[in-house]
Amino acid sequence: MEREANVLIIGGGVSGTGLAYNLAKLGVEGIVLLERNYLGSGASGRCGGGARQQWTTEENVKFMKKSIEILERLPQELKFNILFRQSGYLFLARDEEQLNLLKENVRLHRKLGVETRFLDAEEAREIVPVLNTEGILGATYNPKDGVLFPFALVWGYAKAAKRLGAKIYLHTEARGFKIENGRIKSVFTDKGEIKVKEWVVNAAGAYSKELARKAGVELPNKPYRHEIMVTEPLKLFIKPMVVDLSNGLYMTQTSRGEVIGGIGDPEEESSYNLESGHKFLYLFSRAAIRVIPILKEIRLMRQWAGLYDTTPDKNPILGPVDEVENFLQINGYSGHGLMMAPYATQLLAELIAYGKPSESIERFSIRRFREGEIKAEKAVIG
Amino acid sequence: MPRIREHPILDFKWSERKKIKFTFDSEEIIGYDGDTIASALYASGKRVIRRSFKYHRPRGLFCGIGQCSSCLVKVNGIPNQKACVTPIEEGMVVESQGSIPSAERDLLSLLDALELKHGIQYEKFLGPKFLRPLYFKLFNFVLGSGNVKEEVPKVKFSEGYYPEKEVDVLVIGGGPAGICAAKASAECGARTLLVEERDRIGGELLKQTHKFFGSRRYYSGMRGFRIADVLSKELEKSGAEVMVNTLAIGYLDGKIGVCRDEREFSLVKPKCIVVSTGATERTLMFENNDLPGVMGAGGVQTLMHLYGVKPGEEALIVGSGNVGLILAYQLLQAGVEVKAVIEILPKIGGYFVHAAKIRRMGVEILTSHTIKRAVGRKEVEGAEIVKVDENLREIEGSERFIECDLICLAVGMSPNIEILRQMGCEVVYIPELGGFVAKHDENMETSRAGVFVAGDSSGIEEATTAMIEGEIAGISAALKSGKGRKEHEERREKLKMLLEEMRDNPFGERVVIGKKKMWGA
Ligand SMILES: Cc1cc2nc3c(=O)[nH]c(=O)nc-3n(C[C@H](O)[C@H](O)[C@H](O)COP(=O)(O)OP(=O)(O)OC[C@H]3O[C@@H](n4cnc5c(N)ncnc54)[C@H](O)[C@@H]3O)c2cc1C
Ligand code: FES
Repeated sequence: MEREANVLIIGGGVSGTGLAYNLAKLGVEGIVLLERNYLGSGASGRCGGGARQQWTTEENVKFMKKSIEILERLPQELKFNILFRQSGYLFLARDEEQLNLLKENVRLHRKLGVETRFLDAEEAREIVPVLNTEGILGATYNPKDGVLFPFALVWGYAKAAKRLGAKIYLHTEARGFKIENGRIKSVFTDKGEIKVKEWVVNAAGAYSKELARKAGVELPNKPYRHEIMVTEPLKLFIKPMVVDLSNGLYMTQTSRGEVIGGIGDPEEESSYNLESGHKFLYLFSRAAIRVIPILKEIRLMRQWAGLYDTTPDKNPILGPVDEVENFLQINGYSGHGLMMAPYATQLLAELIAYGKPSESIERFSIRRFREGEIKAEKAVIG
Repeated sequence: MPRIREHPILDFKWSERKKIKFTFDSEEIIGYDGDTIASALYASGKRVIRRSFKYHRPRGLFCGIGQCSSCLVKVNGIPNQKACVTPIEEGMVVESQGSIPSAERDLLSLLDALELKHGIQYEKFLGPKFLRPLYFKLFNFVLGSGNVKEEVPKVKFSEGYYPEKEVDVLVIGGGPAGICAAKASAECGARTLLVEERDRIGGELLKQTHKFFGSRRYYSGMRGFRIADVLSKELEKSGAEVMVNTLAIGYLDGKIGVCRDEREFSLVKPKCIVVSTGATERTLMFENNDLPGVMGAGGVQTLMHLYGVKPGEEALIVGSGNVGLILAYQLLQAGVEVKAVIEILPKIGGYFVHAAKIRRMGVEILTSHTIKRAVGRKEVEGAEIVKVDENLREIEGSERFIECDLICLAVGMSPNIEILRQMGCEVVYIPELGGFVAKHDENMETSRAGVFVAGDSSGIEEATTAMIEGEIAGISAALKSGKGRKEHEERREKLKMLLEEMRDNPFGERVVIGKKKMWGA
């Protein structure tokens, strides 16, 4: 194993591998990535795979527009197919408040050049013929949104990064830091110590908080269990990602054909619990069958849980911290990191390589939680 | 393939049974009352009932008891039903899935001929961007098993949350171990519930027609399926509740989710759990091991003894353990010619008496032989076997072709431990016990307090020891849940001694070694 790194990345999810790739692409040398399990064993391999431009704040819409553009070219760039199927996101509204949110979104999206359309219930059914339109007041649809296979994105990034010289060590855990004069000098792992010349990056997903604490840095992130399931594989009958705004249900089909979907439980308390529960089954099956009744005949095959790494304003934390000079954060995605990571990792790589990213990431700085007003993202799903 | 009309032990009473008509890919099939879709299809000579997911290779029955999903079909418009456990009904419409036009003649099987590389979907179809929608159409054309009706049916939800039942002891799996566990637990006065996935309890015993060895108290001299009858009656008397057609789907936040008839979902909150989920038949690695006509020994027994279907005309058996040897005898009884029993090791695995018996009936047992490939286009037409040297390596030039239409794999079982693993029980790999098992003590308790194991799911053995283990586990669970008395404790100690006695022979030694290893692990 390498005993020295210029940039040491902790975490082998989409953030860690994406960053390793983007750094290597910019010619940075001495990249080492540590993953305590296997690639994608955190939230990245447990997520729904959705990527959308339909957001509620101008900044996030713009950000995701960039990210989707990257996803569109990644298969050729990485020489690895991430199975990104752009068949849209369909948001459903069941009351006036949700309806107004959607209408406002359409206005905002159009202004920013995102082709979101407003649909009535019947038009929504044209997109998903098995949709139960009862109680649906309206919907929005953007054909550029889509779903991808999350493991493929992580594998693709990792392979390309390795090809460009990055070193990736699996089943290797970062356990502590040697800090001198406010700088991390080296990282202790279960396989020995690794000296760090420049940066250490905390890409440990929901475990970032614990990791940061070991360096004396307090993150405001909290872990929440989110459950998700897949059914038996079937021919495609739900093309877009369907989102029910009234309860946070989301579901679509993978390229293999499994219906994949989840739902949030507002009563879930913060924890690292990854066990499966019956309440999820109850909430999910009812919500899903209400939207697509034919699902009642389909078997659920697997159910599992992952962690949302949630910040107070539901936006990620990107960039340096005050307490430790060379400790970068890329975490706190609050349940939408898969889609944000392609652009987020590019910007962070630019910061490391050039000292300044091509677009400011100041708004993602951890300092925002100490200063003044924060603007929360409303379109958090699940 | 004909039905079994004459059998020295079993009488299927064909003339008294009602005939039932249904269709498979639009063709009319006639089965009998009591048939499953798979048994009726097999009896009508239909072996290819499905195509594989990706390469569209022909697939037929393998396990025959709903464990391997090799037999999925569409039934009355509902996709992915297991043909081997779905009873037939008059007028039922059964269709093969994902093949064009039918499972028998699937044009997409061309994909198999292309010998595409594994993982090709990640390396190809990268761009250009405008072609990607087309790629996804292509994936959808090839993949996906079955489709749903494009309908929006009305649904009504039942009110309230899932029903919940509190019990002292929940037993999962109703084979010999599970039945004895439930019975013993109920006899200790514990409120006991047994859930069984299939439509009847008895498990392995149901397909066994031979007379059992072992202890008198454990029905030696009686045939397997009769023991199942007797046990069922005893269980009924004990007061334990039994739910059949009920699948324990998992451990969910401290409760076990169970699903009856694939419809009613409820939760069971037990103080203690006995897992007696049995084992799954293993397959072997060889070319064409998925060809219809390659079947697990248990699947073959199920076809013959439960459904009266003659599984083939000429059979090859791979594996000379007791299962393989007994199967050879049973095939002969059903009128099937047994071409050979082959065994990769230099000596026969099972009891001498069984081997001697089939040899007397003219069956060749070839030791130091293994199967190299199954031969046939859509179903088995023969097998290529080969000699192996002392390192079990194939000896080139020693290949031999055996004509047969049935290849039975009797190559062992692996314990079913999924639910134990999910509950967080410590799992260790012990080859002597059949692979991964949940570590357990002499009272059959796992590393998770209150969770017990018994029977094949605790290590592959045989029915008598499964019954004893079941009793031990049942008593232990009842005691732990606060029921039972001193006498039950004493009884448990006696059972432990009995178990030791039963294993005190060359065949039990393997298990004794395995259990010791497990304790040390
Ligand atoms: C159920 C669910 C559904 C979701 N659906 C979507 C969706 O549809 N779209 C979307 O965009 N996002 C979705 N998300 C969110 C998304 O999955 C995450 O935001 C994203 O994957 C975060 O990636 P990451 O690389 O930052 O973290 P992770 O993928 O969690 O990676 C962190 C890695 O760090 C490793 N690690 C932790 N500590 C250490 C250590 N000390 N040493 C070494 N390694 C360590 C972990 O093992 C892990 O592999 C969903 C999340 C969940 C749970
Ligand atoms: S599940 Fe039907 S043959 Fe195995």
